[in-house]
Amino acid sequence: MNFSSGFLTILVYVSLVWCAISAAGLAFMLVRDLLRGESW
Amino acid sequence: MTDSNVLLAPSTGYLLLALFSALWIGLGIYWGKKNKSFEDHALAGRNVGLALGSATAAATWITSNTTMLAPQFALELGIWGMLAYSMAAFGLILFAPLAKRIRTLMPHGYTSGDFFRLRYGRVAWGIFMLFTLFYSLTWLVSMAMAGGILLEALAGIDYVWGMTVILAVCVIYTMRGGLTAVIGTDFIQTLIIIVGIVVVGFAVLQNVSVDEIHANLTASKPELVHVLFPAALMAIFNNLLFGLGEVFHNNVWWSRAFAFREGVGSKAFLIGGLVWFPIPIAAGFIALASGALNVAVPSPDMVGPLVIASVLGEVGAVAIFIIVFCSLASSIDSLLAATSDLLVEDVYRRFLKPAATPERLKSVAQYITLALGIGTWAVCVPRIGTLASVLFFAGPLVGAMIWPIVTGLYWRRANSVGAIGGMLLGGGIGLISYFTIGWFVASTIGTAVSMVWVLGAAWLSKDRYDWNLLKEDA
Repeated sequence: MNFSSGFLTILVYVSLVWCAISAAGLAFMLVRDLLRGESW
Repeated sequence: MTDSNVLLAPSTGYLLLALFSALWIGLGIYWGKKNKSFEDHALAGRNVGLALGSATAAATWITSNTTMLAPQFALELGIWGMLAYSMAAFGLILFAPLAKRIRTLMPHGYTSGDFFRLRYGRVAWGIFMLFTLFYSLTWLVSMAMAGGILLEALAGIDYVWGMTVILAVCVIYTMRGGLTAVIGTDFIQTLIIIVGIVVVGFAVLQNVSVDEIHANLTASKPELVHVLFPAALMAIFNNLLFGLGEVFHNNVWWSRAFAFREGVGSKAFLIGGLVWFPIPIAAGFIALASGALNVAVPSPDMVGPLVIASVLGEVGAVAIFIIVFCSLASSIDSLLAATSDLLVEDVYRRFLKPAATPERLKSVAQYITLALGIGTWAVCVPRIGTLASVLFFAGPLVGAMIWPIVTGLYWRRANSVGAIGGMLLGGGIGLISYFTIGWFVASTIGTAVSMVWVLGAAWLSKDRYDWNLLKEDA
């Protein structure tokens, strides 16, 4: 039994979008921490 | 290697190397200005916030292995291989509650060595130091060596020059800036790596669809898309436990648990793990595209760069060069800082100079960082080959430390007999299985043996540990 093409498609696109959201989220968090004076 | 078969012109490689070296050193010197004492230098003043904390957890876990070995895993173990590599994220995710517990139990702690010494005594501490120094130094040497090899393969930069520059840059900014510089640069490196992987991933998908990749794999290498691929399934558990062992024991992570502001540690490690989780898949699927794109892969560990350069040309080669450089720096700097702190706190301060001033300790930490860099360089110069296999060799050793740490943090019955026996038996039997069966089961067996011994010893024990003993004054 093989993984389907649909499964691989979801896996690849979800991981790429997840990465993009992670990067944006980290940048947003840093700006928020800097504004609050809580970066370090 | 000749200039004709590298992916990037050497002049471009040297330019990128110079630009990023100047950036990291400049930032290290700037951030290091506020460090006055050993606590500032080693733990960034124990006041790191959530954004920098999350990014440094993810960045340190993104090594050159993540960006280079994940595609190799995908090429050799298929879809399960990518997922198996991602399992290492659970090392960070499951360390999240431990980080909170560590900060609560040891408000003045510096290193994971402090925990073993105070919780289990000197013998267990000695075994821990042997295991962790073997692992950390092997990891450090393998990263530096990988740096030289990769820069040579990517841009034709001479191995010794490339390795020397990467190591020297990391040593300089870690010496000057301590953990503050490491965490600050980690944030920038994390964003560069993740954005780079996303851009490269979508660019590859512009040239070949996932359906085409799947069809090619089904026709040429059906085992890579098979749901029941035995070696890949075993690799899932092995990577999960190897990841847990690495994160749970190593001072790289404990120093961050101590450095994060109160209340930040558990969230930062959870977010760091979630940030890291998709990266091996996003980086790994590129390898699966090699067949559909007709890219010849003479060496599996170069499959990622070869596919990217084939699809994106020089722009792709520049991207992979930057991603690799950032991946290497984000791990080498952390290892230098954490190993130096371990030697300063656990050996110099606790054994040699208990009365040393904070300023003196900071100075000693800087010299030890320099010595580690020089020692690593000396080992790397002869280019004895890849140390990836030696790193896997350490798998059962780190796996055997999981249970002494987890039970030691939560269970008053956990004791030194359990910890010592668990580490020695788990590590020993795990190594035997490494040689007799294979790397993909060694961590699992080492962890299981250690678990049985540690739990058995705790169950039979009448001792009840006093948690206040961990609150040793700085």
